[in-house]
Amino acid sequence: MIRTLNFAFVFLAGFTCLAVYRVAEEARISQADLRSTNAAIAEEENLLAVLGAEWARVTQPARIQALAARHLPLSDVPTTQLASLRLLPERALIPADEPAFRTASMLIPEPALEPAPLPAPLPVPARDPSVPAFTLASYPGM
Amino acid sequence: MDSHPEATQLVKSRISIAAFLSAAAFAIIGARLVDLTILNADGPAQIAVAQPANGGRADLVDRNGVLIARDLPVSDLYATPASFWDSSEAATALSGVTGTSEERLREVFTSGRNYVLVARALTPDKRAEVMSLGLPGLVFEDGFKRYYPSGRSVSHVVGQVDPDGNGVSGLELGLNDLVRNSDEPVTLSLDMRVQFALQYEVAQIKESFQAIAAGGIVLDVRTGEIIAMVSLPDYEPNARGLGPGDSVRNRMTQDVYELGSIFKIFAFAEAVEEQTITLDERFVIDRPLRFGRYSIGDYGEHGHDLSAELVFAESSNIGTAQIGLRSGAERQRAFLDTLGLLSPLKTEIPEMASPLTPRQWGEIETATVSYGHGISVNPLSFVAAAASTVNGGTMVTPTFLKSSETQHGERVLSERASQIMRYLMRLAVTDGTGGKADVPGYAVGGKTGTAEKATARGYSRNLQITSFAGIFPSQDPRYLVFTMFDEPKGNKESFGFATAGWTAAPATGRVIARIAPLLGVSIDLAALTPAETALATP
Repeated sequence: MIRTLNFAFVFLAGFTCLAVYRVAEEARISQADLRSTNAAIAEEENLLAVLGAEWARVTQPARIQALAARHLPLSDVPTTQLASLRLLPERALIPADEPAFRTASMLIPEPALEPAPLPAPLPVPARDPSVPAFTLASYPGM
Repeated sequence: MDSHPEATQLVKSRISIAAFLSAAAFAIIGARLVDLTILNADGPAQIAVAQPANGGRADLVDRNGVLIARDLPVSDLYATPASFWDSSEAATALSGVTGTSEERLREVFTSGRNYVLVARALTPDKRAEVMSLGLPGLVFEDGFKRYYPSGRSVSHVVGQVDPDGNGVSGLELGLNDLVRNSDEPVTLSLDMRVQFALQYEVAQIKESFQAIAAGGIVLDVRTGEIIAMVSLPDYEPNARGLGPGDSVRNRMTQDVYELGSIFKIFAFAEAVEEQTITLDERFVIDRPLRFGRYSIGDYGEHGHDLSAELVFAESSNIGTAQIGLRSGAERQRAFLDTLGLLSPLKTEIPEMASPLTPRQWGEIETATVSYGHGISVNPLSFVAAAASTVNGGTMVTPTFLKSSETQHGERVLSERASQIMRYLMRLAVTDGTGGKADVPGYAVGGKTGTAEKATARGYSRNLQITSFAGIFPSQDPRYLVFTMFDEPKGNKESFGFATAGWTAAPATGRVIARIAPLLGVSIDLAALTPAETALATP
């Protein structure tokens, strides 16, 4: 009985040694992988940092302006060329369920649909420099 | 064998105990092995985490996330010349990649020294190029270098760090603890697009009027955020040392100036608040004001008398002095103190000059301070105080950190007085000295300031500091743009004039025309003349 047990224990011990060795070796390989992955990540992050800085350098407005002046036939937009939503004419209001609107593509073009009336032009404040119109009372909010 | 039955029994029982303990130990180890290798094979593994790729300082980014400063990994390259087959060939190759002078390399390689410096601060791509040369005897020492991609644009504001990565000037010093302890990029209030537009336009005018120095600030009058700040001459923060003509002085914070007529903003703000004047009240300005042997005169002719609002718009010293005297020395001093003009400003930039104020604040000082002489403040303090008079009347503290919240500081003016100041500043542009600052569609308001510089022999007629504080849109200002020029000289286009109306006002106008669309301020139809409206209407 004891002999059987001894054999069993020796076998178990040998098996366990092999298993432990295998696990230890796997762990060592994993550690090495981890180290090299960490190094690779660090290297990539360093490169990303350098590329990010390079991107910021090449896209800085001073450089873009110089390039645009050299290669593009464009200049700064004067503010009078800008528009705001208030300057746009209002959309013509036709209800979506209006039969004429729904079947517009099927209608024979006569009689032609009455074009929606355009809104009256926005009032333009007349500003004659010779007339002292700008006073505190006329100032917005007063 | 059976002579000692008790002993045999004892040995057997001991063997049994030992066998049991061994079996238990193996069983535990075996169970743990099964647990680790089979049951928990996919258990928590260690996650690969790289070390932070910086030298201990977080990135600085602008309000839109554009990079302003970053620690870059760099390497210093050393060589052991004895390892080279041919030191002359090595010198040529290394010079080609690193940019180091070939002659210097030849010299140090043949000097007999064992270990010599080849190049400092090589970026990783340069390092890879050096490696690909395949030369023996090269050693890299790793480190970090603070890099500023925008270069000169941000030199004074952002400042610099020492080789150990500690801030030594500008925001790098003022925000040192924050930048050192933050894992995330630190977001500044600056907008690099506005910063460039301000720098470019101010530099253009500085150049065309041959000013010795210039500067500018763009401030959000509600949140107190500094959107841009420029001081010229500047310097290249990525270079070692200063180039010819460069300066590390931030004239917007480190220097104090007698800013001149631009200070009339405060005299009028006080008078409007205390209701010591009405805007249509007439002030006689046909002769200089005399105080003993001193007299206060005007620049140019303004006629016999002017209404109070035109005293502001046309910038009459004589009229403003009379208005200042109505409040008196004590109240004037208290008002300027409330605006923070009599004590050093506290903000994230450490280089902040203290104001120079009159030792004795008598009648003549009250008169001169009302039009900006006899008191010297740094431009940033002025800008903060001026913004507080037009933003509805609450004090703003300038900040370089992004913050979208409106500041609710101490009230320094009533809403109505603030509204009147906006009107007066608009009037100074439509009917006064600041006409060249106007931008179609943006209703710019502002005030010019042309101050004579104090010299050893009194005030100089020829040396001037010109400045302009512009607000837009003036009916509900969002931003204040300040520009300043030191000793501009008249040119052909300005018919020899170098006053603020010819220098700082157009500079401010050009800055506003560029930055207003960038900052999302839409144009105002009411601020266009009929001709401009015809252009703008589709």
